[in-house]
Amino acid sequence: MRHFQSILTGICIISLLSGCAQVRPWERGYLARKEMAWEVDPLESLLNNHIFFSKEASSGGNSAAGGGCGCN
Amino acid sequence: MATNPSPSLIALSATALALPGITSADAPPTQSTISYKFSNYAEDDLSRSEAPFGDLERYDIDVHQFQFITPIDSSFSLHIDANYESLTGASPWFTSKGVNGDPIVNLSGASGIRDRRSEFSIGTKYYLFNGSVGGNIGYSEEDDYRSSYFGLTGERHFNNEMTTVSLGFSYSSDAIFPTDAEVFNRVISEDKRSTSAIISVSQIISQVSSFQIALGLTEQSGFLSDPYKLKDIRPDNRTQIALTNSYRHFFINANAAWHVNYRYYHDDFGISSHTFDMRWYQNLRQSIQLVPSVRFYSQSAASFFTNVDNFVKPADEYQSSDHRLSAFGAFSGGLSFVANLGSWTATLTAERYVSNDSYSAYKVSQPSTALVRYNRISVGLDYTF
Repeated sequence: MRHFQSILTGICIISLLSGCAQVRPWERGYLARKEMAWEVDPLESLLNNHIFFSKEASSGGNSAAGGGCGCN
Repeated sequence: MATNPSPSLIALSATALALPGITSADAPPTQSTISYKFSNYAEDDLSRSEAPFGDLERYDIDVHQFQFITPIDSSFSLHIDANYESLTGASPWFTSKGVNGDPIVNLSGASGIRDRRSEFSIGTKYYLFNGSVGGNIGYSEEDDYRSSYFGLTGERHFNNEMTTVSLGFSYSSDAIFPTDAEVFNRVISEDKRSTSAIISVSQIISQVSSFQIALGLTEQSGFLSDPYKLKDIRPDNRTQIALTNSYRHFFINANAAWHVNYRYYHDDFGISSHTFDMRWYQNLRQSIQLVPSVRFYSQSAASFFTNVDNFVKPADEYQSSDHRLSAFGAFSGGLSFVANLGSWTATLTAERYVSNDSYSAYKVSQPSTALVRYNRISVGLDYTF
């Protein structure tokens, strides 16, 4: 059942994205705004990743791991 | 709630990798930026019911972060990062059963624990006609830990830059040499290695929205146990997989951007987790921005987690009372105030994090007594020139 749900979710995502209309370069003004970046504040993202890495068991998913520390 | 993520994750991963392409738009910077951020986060003290004996103070940590990004002609950029962190406080040393049968924690001595960590990395990115490639190397050092690492990245745009596929790879070689090793019968020196790869696909959906999916795989080997726990025996290999979905949307009428991220994680310690976080970037005036944020996290326990240390268990059987390997959930909420003042940007952030086994979305058969709660405050300054 979980296998079927995962495939269905993937199909929905593909359908959603394949239906995207072309956005021409001069129409991307809102997308180019700083607050629309994947990481608006890189230092904040690095800090959060480091803190959560030291407090929780999970890590990764947004960048390759980088260096380790004795915090975990 | 038990989890069997592997078949689902493999199915979803295969589907994600077959997507036509998703991009995070990338271009060489036109200006240089110097950034500095100072942060302090202090864990709440334990209560006497959690730790009937000894110190109650936990970690108090100061972090200084520096970053410099600059273009080098029209095709290259240079990235430099430096961090300095100082820590005082105590961490759980071992757990035992209290008078009422509930687990209690015993902290290592708070008055004597001080540690400092310095990290430096340098990287470059080369911008091609329809993408970029980059690499970085780094080194970090603590009183009892050293890490050397390097990373490679690459991305390619497709479909009139509507879609971008990105790849990342990193390798880290670490050395562990615990303090007071002979006094406390700890390991003298051990090593650890970590190899990580990630693929992401980003897609512009509309004039105001974009979506990204990323799949990361990490393999760790070597000494993975905690040398400062009285008894902590973990496998010498760990495979971790993480699938992240991110969505960005700009609300024109509200003049605000909405960020939402979801990550599913699983490893062969038996731990699975869900992470869900949202941020709302509200522009108030030309130069002021308020950013509230919320995060929910929940993990299951490692297969070898025990909330009361068993000192008669054979030394070749895995066991750990580390609260970070227990089943728990955590909520955090924060607020940032951002002021853009010409070439300067100032940021002030406050955050509160609370974890508890009752917040867990997974079954909790052995609740941990040492779960963390902390406050964080950060002040940042950017200068662009």
